[in-house]
Parts: sequence; C-alpha cells; structure tokens
Amino acid sequence: MFCIVLNKSPIFVFQSTSMDIQNTQSQMRKGVLEFCILSIINRGEVYPSDIIDQMKAANLHILEGTLYPLLTRLKNAGLLNYRWVESVSGPPRKYFVMTDAGKEAFSVLLQTWNDMANAVSLLTQPPTPNPEA
Amino acid sequence: MKKVININFQGRILPIEEASYETLQQYIESLRQYFDAEEGRDEIINDIECRIAELCDDRLKKGAVCITEDDMRLIIESIGRPADFEAQDGFEASTSANASNTSQQKFSDNDENPKRLYRDEQNKLIGGVCAGIANYLKLDPLLVRVLWVLLFGISFFAYVLLWIAVPNTSTTQIGGARKRLFRDIDNKVIGGVCAGLSKYFDVKVIYIRLLFLVPSILLVLNWNHFHLFQFWEFDDFPNFIELTFSPSAVFVYIVLWLVLPEAKTTADKLEMRGEKVDINSIKNTIQTDMEGFGKRAQSWGSSVYNKAKTSEAQTASTAANAAPEPAQRGGCLQFAGRTITILFKAFVYFVLGVITISILAALFGVGIATTGLLPLRRFILEDGAHNWYAYAIIVFFIWVPVIGIVTAIIRKIAGIKKANAWVRGGFWSLWALSWIFIPLFFATLTKSFSKQNEPQEEVYQLANAKVNYLEISAQQKLKYYNHYWLKLEPFNFFDSDTVYVRNLRIRIVKASSDSFEVKYVRISNGKTVAEAERLASKINFDLNQQDSSLYLDKGIAINKTDKFRNQHVIMTLAVPVGKRFKITNRAWEQVRVSVDKRGFRSQTGPNIDFAFDGDNSNWYNDEDAFDYDYDVEYIMTPTGLERVGGVKASEDDKENPEALKNRLEELKRESEQIENDLKKTWEQKQKEADDIKKQLDKKGDNLNRNSTKKESSVSDTVKAFAFGFDAIKLLVSRFQS
Repeated sequence: MFCIVLNKSPIFVFQSTSMDIQNTQSQMRKGVLEFCILSIINRGEVYPSDIIDQMKAANLHILEGTLYPLLTRLKNAGLLNYRWVESVSGPPRKYFVMTDAGKEAFSVLLQTWNDMANAVSLLTQPPTPNPEA
Repeated sequence: MKKVININFQGRILPIEEASYETLQQYIESLRQYFDAEEGRDEIINDIECRIAELCDDRLKKGAVCITEDDMRLIIESIGRPADFEAQDGFEASTSANASNTSQQKFSDNDENPKRLYRDEQNKLIGGVCAGIANYLKLDPLLVRVLWVLLFGISFFAYVLLWIAVPNTSTTQIGGARKRLFRDIDNKVIGGVCAGLSKYFDVKVIYIRLLFLVPSILLVLNWNHFHLFQFWEFDDFPNFIELTFSPSAVFVYIVLWLVLPEAKTTADKLEMRGEKVDINSIKNTIQTDMEGFGKRAQSWGSSVYNKAKTSEAQTASTAANAAPEPAQRGGCLQFAGRTITILFKAFVYFVLGVITISILAALFGVGIATTGLLPLRRFILEDGAHNWYAYAIIVFFIWVPVIGIVTAIIRKIAGIKKANAWVRGGFWSLWALSWIFIPLFFATLTKSFSKQNEPQEEVYQLANAKVNYLEISAQQKLKYYNHYWLKLEPFNFFDSDTVYVRNLRIRIVKASSDSFEVKYVRISNGKTVAEAERLASKINFDLNQQDSSLYLDKGIAINKTDKFRNQHVIMTLAVPVGKRFKITNRAWEQVRVSVDKRGFRSQTGPNIDFAFDGDNSNWYNDEDAFDYDYDVEYIMTPTGLERVGGVKASEDDKENPEALKNRLEELKRESEQIENDLKKTWEQKQKEADDIKKQLDKKGDNLNRNSTKKESSVSDTVKAFAFGFDAIKLLVSRFQS
C-alpha cells in the first residue's frame, strides 16, 4: 500500500521535487497512522508492543517512541482509555481500550477511508477501454 | 572487564553496565527534551521507561547476565531516538525487501537523514576536521588539508571551532543528547552562524556577534586610519572597507556558514541546545583525538606518497571510466550551488553593510562638523527663526538618523526585538520634519547674502614705496587655535565676540612708475545693497610697512551684531619692473595661491596681469594658472613675472639649465663659505696649540715627561685636523669641477 522511496535528501535543496514527494509521503502516513492504530485497538484490548507487532505483520513499521506519545494524545482526547493488568512478572502493564467516543470516531474514519481508498484505486487504475469507441 | 551496577528501574531490578546506564540516562534526557512541549510528557516518558524496563527484563530472562551496551543500543533503536521520530514523522512502511534487521534499518535511516558534517574518526590526522569536510564534500582529504594549511593563519580559528563543535563519527552513534553545532536560522541576522554558536557555547548571542565585529571595532578605534572628515574622498574608500570588515572574521563566518547545517527539524534544534559543553568535555575530546597523532601523521604521509606513485598509473584507467556516480555528481553540484548562493549572499550583505556604515559615518561626520561649527553660528546667523532652523537641521536631519541607525544595529546584534511602531514612527517623522527646515534655512541664508556693494578702489600709501624688495607676510598672531582635525577657514581664530576672517585676495600687476603701489577694494554681501555698503565700510583693513616688510592685518574683524556676510578684500600690488617681492606663507598654510598666466599674456588689459588668490574665495579658477610658490622671491621683468635667478615663474626649475647654473653658483658660494669657516677654525686651533705650548714651557722640568706627552697629543689632533681640512678641500674642489 505504501511504497517507500529511499531518496537521498540533501541539506540544501533548490526547489527540488524530491522534497515535495517526501513531504507528501509523510503527510499520507501521518493521515492514516492514527486510523491504523485505532483499528487495531478496535479489535479489542491491546498492549502497545502488540500494536507494534500487529503493524509489523502488516508490513507497517512504527517506532515505539512515536507510538507512546500518540496513544497518550488519543487518550487525552478521550478516544482511548487504559487499564492496568497484572503481569506474570514485574509490575502491572497498561492495556488500551476504545471508549464510546473512540468507537464513534473510528466509524467516521473508516467511512472516510473506504471512500478514499475507493477513489484512489479508481484513479490509479489504468483507464478501461471504452466499449463504444 | 566492565563495571556492572544494579538499578531499580520502573519496579524492576536490573544489572546494567555502567556505560550503558549512562547511555540510557542520556537517551531518557533527550526524550525529555523532545517531548518538552508535549502536554502528557511525564506520562509518555513513563510509558517508554516501562517498556525499556520490560525489554531489559526480557533479555535477562533469555539468559543475559546484565544489560550490555549492545543490548541497550538495540533497545534504544527499537524504540527510536528523537531524530528518528522526526525523520519518520509518523511511521514507516517498508517494502518486503527491507527486512526488520535493525542494523539495516539503522543504515537506511542514516541514508534518509540529511547529510551532516562529522569529524572523520577513521581518517583523522589531528581532529579529523579536514577528513570530515573532505568526506562531506566528497573530495580528497589531501586537497582539503593542503587548502587548510595554505590558509593557515585564518583557518586556525575555524579548525579549533569545528573540532570542538562538530561531533565525531564514533560519538554520534552512542549519545543521543550530545550537543551539536548548527546554524540557528530562527534567530539569524545573516546566516545564523553567530546565533548557532551562542546556543552551542551557551553564551549570549551578542558576545559572539561582537567577537566577529571586534577586529573591525578595534580598527575603528585606531583613529589614525580613520579619516572621519575626509570620507568623501575616493582615496580613502578602500581604507574604509578595510576597517569595517576584518577579512579574517568574514572568512571564518563564510566557512562556518558553508559547513554548518541549519537546524531545520525539532530534533536538530534539540541537539543544538543539547547537553552542556564545558572546558572538561572540550579537553576530553581534544585529548582523545590527539592520542597517536604521530603515528597517524606518518602513515598518512606514506599513503600520500604511495598514492602519488600509483596515481600516474591509474590516471589512464580512471579516465576510461571517469563518469562519476550520479549521486556524487549531484552532491558536488548541490554543494557548488550552495557555495555560490552563500558567497553571493555574503557579498550582498557585505555591500549592504558598507553602504549602511558609510551613510552612518557620513552623517556622523557632518554632525560632528556642524556641531563643531555651532560656536560660530552667532557670527553668521541672524537671531530668531534662522537660528532655530539651524538647530532643527542639525538635530533632526543629522543626529536623529544617526541615533536611529545605531540603535537599530545594536538591537539587531543583541537580538532585542524591534522598537515599537511609535518610536520608529517618531524617528521617521522627526527626520521628515527636518526636510521642511532645510529649504527654509537656505532660503533665508542666501537672502542675507544676496546683494553686494559697489566696489571702490582705494589707495594705501606706503611709507617707503621706493624699496627694491618687498616681503609680504601676515602679522604675528596672538593665539592660534588651529585644530588639526577641524579647520574653520576662513575663520582663522576667534575670541568671545570677534572673529577674524582672512578673506583676502592678492593680485600682482606691473607698476607704471618705479615705486610699489598698493590698492585695495572692500567688498561685502548683505540683504540689501545699503547693508552691504555699510558692512563694507566697516571693514578695517590695515597694512603696516617696516622697511622692506609689509605686514597684513590679522584679518577682517567680524562681530556678532554685524555678522559675516562674505566681507573680503582684494588687494592689488603693483610691482615696478626690476624690483623683487616675496609672499611668505607664515600663518597662511592652507591658502593656495595661483598665478594667472592668461592675464599675463594680455599685458594691456586692465589690472589683471597676475592674480594671486589670497584665499579660496569666489574668484574664477583659471585653468592656465600655475601654482605660486610661497617663500620664493619673484622679480618683475618687462615681459612678466620671473623667479629670482632668471627662471620664469611658469617653468619648473629642475629641468632648466639656467636653474642648474644658478644652483651651482649657490653651491660654490656655500663651499667658499665652508672653506672660510674651516680656515678660521684651523687658525683658532693652531693658536690654542701655541698657547698650550707656551704654558707647557712655563712649567717646571720635573713635569717634563708628562708635558711632552701632552704636547705630542695636541700636535696629533692638530695634524688630524689639518688632514681633515685637506680632505674637505679636495672634495669641494672636485665638486666645483
């Protein structure tokens, strides 16, 4: 879904197009990041490192360092909540769950995503030959 | 052998190596800085710490004895450093080709990060600065080093700075919170170099800026270089640049501008502030770098030698596949582009700086000059409005912008925010106001000078007109405050209520009789003809002849009620044919006298045979005029004015055979005089010697021995003297021939 272009980005760029592509890429990723995380949590109570694993399985790589602040932000926005779960070894661990507001937000985002994906796949497909021509 | 400590970390007891513990601490600190602005900072940090503790625990459970540095590195990499967050800006999706291998991930991250300057640990000679730059520019280190050495004096400072501030390739992989030198583009004035340096050394930015400006300031303080009141003369212009911008400071600035990256991302800005840099850390860096310097230098030398040997063989093959890698070429091109832009920017700023400073200096100079003239204002300006116009112009037109520009510069350098709109508006409006006063002032001033009286020639009766030689000089002055830096011509000196103006022009004409004649005209300007007449009649021009000397008055007295309205005197000196005269420049140093050659040709013309300008008044400048030499005797001949000695006044005496003859005669006379003097002294000495002899004869026999000794010594000196005399005589005779 997301193909990454490893381009060398120079420090000093004269209006180079590579900068714009990079910017677009990061904008795209940013846009769907929260949606992806929410959809994982929507499946059920989850531990942050499990989110990482599940995303990795879907070939999406995210650093834990970026995940934790995102979760905190979503929690502060009222979309998520957490629960302390006793662990076998060591102190209890934080498990994240969806709140009702979160579920609502997720359904809106899902709708948007479906529309978007549809539109994008339509536009990126090669044009179908017109039978009348 | 490594020291292991136990830490209680988020409810877990972890055995950890000391070094990796420090790394952990640094890492947490860097996170803390990164999330500083975040609302839930502590929670985020706490969560991450918990995760780290968990990961460590996992490792211990798998059988590790303690948390090693490698473990810690992997853990930190999996969670990510602030720089990585920024680079990812979200999350990263990887193709299947990009495996989850952490080291490879790290590598790709490095590739995606903007290129940075590091000191090259592997190829370093001293601190690795040159190697790092070479690496950065994809050049041969040899080239960079040679350039660096060529520019040694200037680049030394830059080297030390880079050594301290640029991270080592080895250190960057471990620490997350190490401070790095960036250009701080948020607080920049020109390129952000000074601001970045100030962040790095934790000093106020003004000190760094002053450091770059101090060489120039020192030069400015050296007043010998600073011709404040001659700035408009073109000759001084390069000098002016020299003192404004010290070349070395500019060079260092440009080098840093080129080499330092700008702090673009948040991570950069964090690194820019980073941990404190103190003397200790600098010392450590330098100490570790200097270890084994000798060995490295040797090996480098031999490698260069080998390279030189093999390069000849290689040139052929390299020429064959000379096409450089596209990436490399791109890098070079980009760097070249960047260099050109920065140099261009530097040039533009340089020009702007020169312009600003010249305007400032011009205003400042005019301000000083006009303020210095203020004591004279009562002798020129009428009371009331006129006076106030002058004040308004000096204050509003000159000093207001000077103060405005200076404060603006200080604000800019010190990084203080701009003055508020009211203050700025006030300055501008005051300045605009002065534009109203300027025409008013000059209109009234020209009006009071507009009319002139009807000149009438008067005759001064010389006490002894029949002399053969007349020397014209100024009367001795009582006091003369002629400041070296401020000449107030024609106001030569003034006391509390009188100014003496030496506004005098002398013209030389041929006399019709055989006696000297002096005529003079008193001229003045004024608001009306009547006033001009009145002022002219008040001019008291006195001459005083003593034998062959004619003393001019000390000046035209001007008081505060009558004011200066260009009162001046034109004096005509008629010199009879065959008589000599001389104008000395005593107390007239500044005045240029020129002889009007054209007037000389038209002998029949009235009164303008020779015109000597006694001052720089409004007499026309004749192109044919030649310099009149002060303190030189001239003689009036039927054909015109000539220098004494038969040289025409218009001709240069050096090339002229007659002049040479003249000089030779003079020298002959001199030599004769010397000869006479010598003869006299010789005779005198001989007499003395005779006296001594006589005295010695008188003395008793018991002192005979001593006396003979003395006698011989005296005779020796006499002999030597005689010999010297002969030699001089020989010399003189040679010279004569």
